[in-house]
Amino acid sequence: MRAFGNKPLVAGLAGAVLLFLYAPLLVMAFFSFNASQFTGLPFKGFTLSWYEKVLENETLMRSIGASVYVGIGTVILSMLIGLPAAIALDRYDFPGKAAFRRVVMLPIVLPGVITGVALLSFYITIGFRLSLNTIMLGQGTALTCIYVTEVFARLQQLGRSQEEAAYNLGASQIETFFKVTLPNLKSAIFGTMLIVFSISFDEIAVTYLLTGRENTLPMALWSILRREATPEINAVATLVIAFSIVLIVIGVVASRGKDLVAASKS
Amino acid sequence: MAAYIDLIGIRKSYGASPVAAVDGVDLSIQKGEFVTLLGSSGCGKTTTLRCIAGFEMPDTGTIRFSGEDITYSQPSERDMRMVFQDFALFPNMTISENVAFGLRLKKMRGRYSEAQIRARVEEYLSLVQLADHGKKMPHQLSGGQKQRTALARALITDPAVVLFDEPLASLDANLRKAMQVEIKRLHRQFNKTFIYVTHDQEEAMAMSDRIVVMNKGRIVQSGSPEEVYSQPNSKFVANFIDRANILTGIVETVDGSTAKIRLASGATLSAPTNDATISGKTVGVMIRVDRVSLGEDGSDQRNILRGIVAERLFLGAKNEYVIELADGAGRISVHERTAGAQASIGDVVPLCVLPDDIRVLAA
Repeated sequence: MRAFGNKPLVAGLAGAVLLFLYAPLLVMAFFSFNASQFTGLPFKGFTLSWYEKVLENETLMRSIGASVYVGIGTVILSMLIGLPAAIALDRYDFPGKAAFRRVVMLPIVLPGVITGVALLSFYITIGFRLSLNTIMLGQGTALTCIYVTEVFARLQQLGRSQEEAAYNLGASQIETFFKVTLPNLKSAIFGTMLIVFSISFDEIAVTYLLTGRENTLPMALWSILRREATPEINAVATLVIAFSIVLIVIGVVASRGKDLVAASKS
Repeated sequence: MAAYIDLIGIRKSYGASPVAAVDGVDLSIQKGEFVTLLGSSGCGKTTTLRCIAGFEMPDTGTIRFSGEDITYSQPSERDMRMVFQDFALFPNMTISENVAFGLRLKKMRGRYSEAQIRARVEEYLSLVQLADHGKKMPHQLSGGQKQRTALARALITDPAVVLFDEPLASLDANLRKAMQVEIKRLHRQFNKTFIYVTHDQEEAMAMSDRIVVMNKGRIVQSGSPEEVYSQPNSKFVANFIDRANILTGIVETVDGSTAKIRLASGATLSAPTNDATISGKTVGVMIRVDRVSLGEDGSDQRNILRGIVAERLFLGAKNEYVIELADGAGRISVHERTAGAQASIGDVVPLCVLPDDIRVLAA
């Protein structure tokens, strides 16, 4: 591994990839501070006015609120379905298990548009009014598969013997689940929550088809962009990136936190 | 008379496999006994133990525990604790919390106050020499310490029976020896019934009151370590328990309780037997490597064999000689103390062995 990093070609290639990934983001963040009506050079001086504009823009702020609402709902809904499904797949044998597993995984490979159209016609058929809640329902069921894969992988890695040890020591099934199984799944569940939230946050295809009167952030940005690209967009995007970084840091710290605490004590 | 634990006709196969993992096991275990199920991997020993613990349900058969049928009862309802090969400590709890787990469960509620639990955890941690490690997390302990934690966690709930599923298999050799002594000491101290599963015959011999040798889902022999060592009832047991020389010969006569057996080399051996019907048949002859010695001492009580030294291996306290018997009668390994008789490769040497140290086995 060490020798690998010393080779100029590898380092150059890695650098190029990182540049292509992150340069656009940096450029965007840079222009969000530009005191100019237009996104682009020249740089006419530092300003925070675009950020003030964002905070004053009620449509944008409401759309952020809507995105967070949908995101949190989606996280909870998909966990409520995905967690038991993963446990059932790992711990129990039942007829049709293989088919169940494939059906649960299907949304991963289905294009969002298809899921969206299917859900839309379904909701219309049963007479649901489209709203943020229908988006939540659509995303929540489609993203269940992420919980199933992540939690299932963790359960497989954990094995059975800890649970057996708990039963063997006299614990009931409920005690075993809450004292032994769940604590071991905590970091997997938390990590999946973050993944699901961020997917939900920038989802367009399903949302576009299922939304009612209210818009989520990507939808609002989309409609603003169709009229004109103001540096306000840059400011919102920069805020979203900053928020994502915070989430990632929280995620990393939370999943490693226990070890760090333990290590500092010893 | 019913024993403490009775396994009657236990049979268990997994999934669609046509071969039963456990194929008709009958076993009685007395209270306070240290019984070891010994066999190579896949012999059904672990499945048998898991049936006793309640993690597996036998397809057929009955398990009785102090007179009660427990075949289909839940693991949590059995007064038995298991020590696992992979320790199975709870990684999210400290060592103290791990040990206290069984005492804090709903089942035990009210039986101990929090202060009593703490005192008891301390007592059991010091019992397994982990008094200073209570606040650590499992991942901070060595393998031996983890297994001692698991032992304390099992013993603290005062179970009637402790089950061990290859608990030392993932430890290195020195640690394994030390843990054997410790487990043996705990057995003496608590006087509980221990049922132990291992593939390591040395471990089984060192600790057990009784060894149950298993092969292909069945019990092959059950007896004290001395018995299975010196009186194996089959070639399988003879080979599995320590090192054995097994030769083939034809029984010439059976006179009372002594058989005269002729080897291919022409030599005859006298050996004890209680089966007169083997006369004229081909049999296996087992001689332990430590029960045969180089040289002859002149007494006619002994059987004398002759052969050529083919190999000499230095093993530290002893030498191992591999002696090629004449006429393709086979090879015999002899362990001789380094300070004892000496021979060099190519020497023609006499070997002597007492009739009582020969075991006649079915061919």
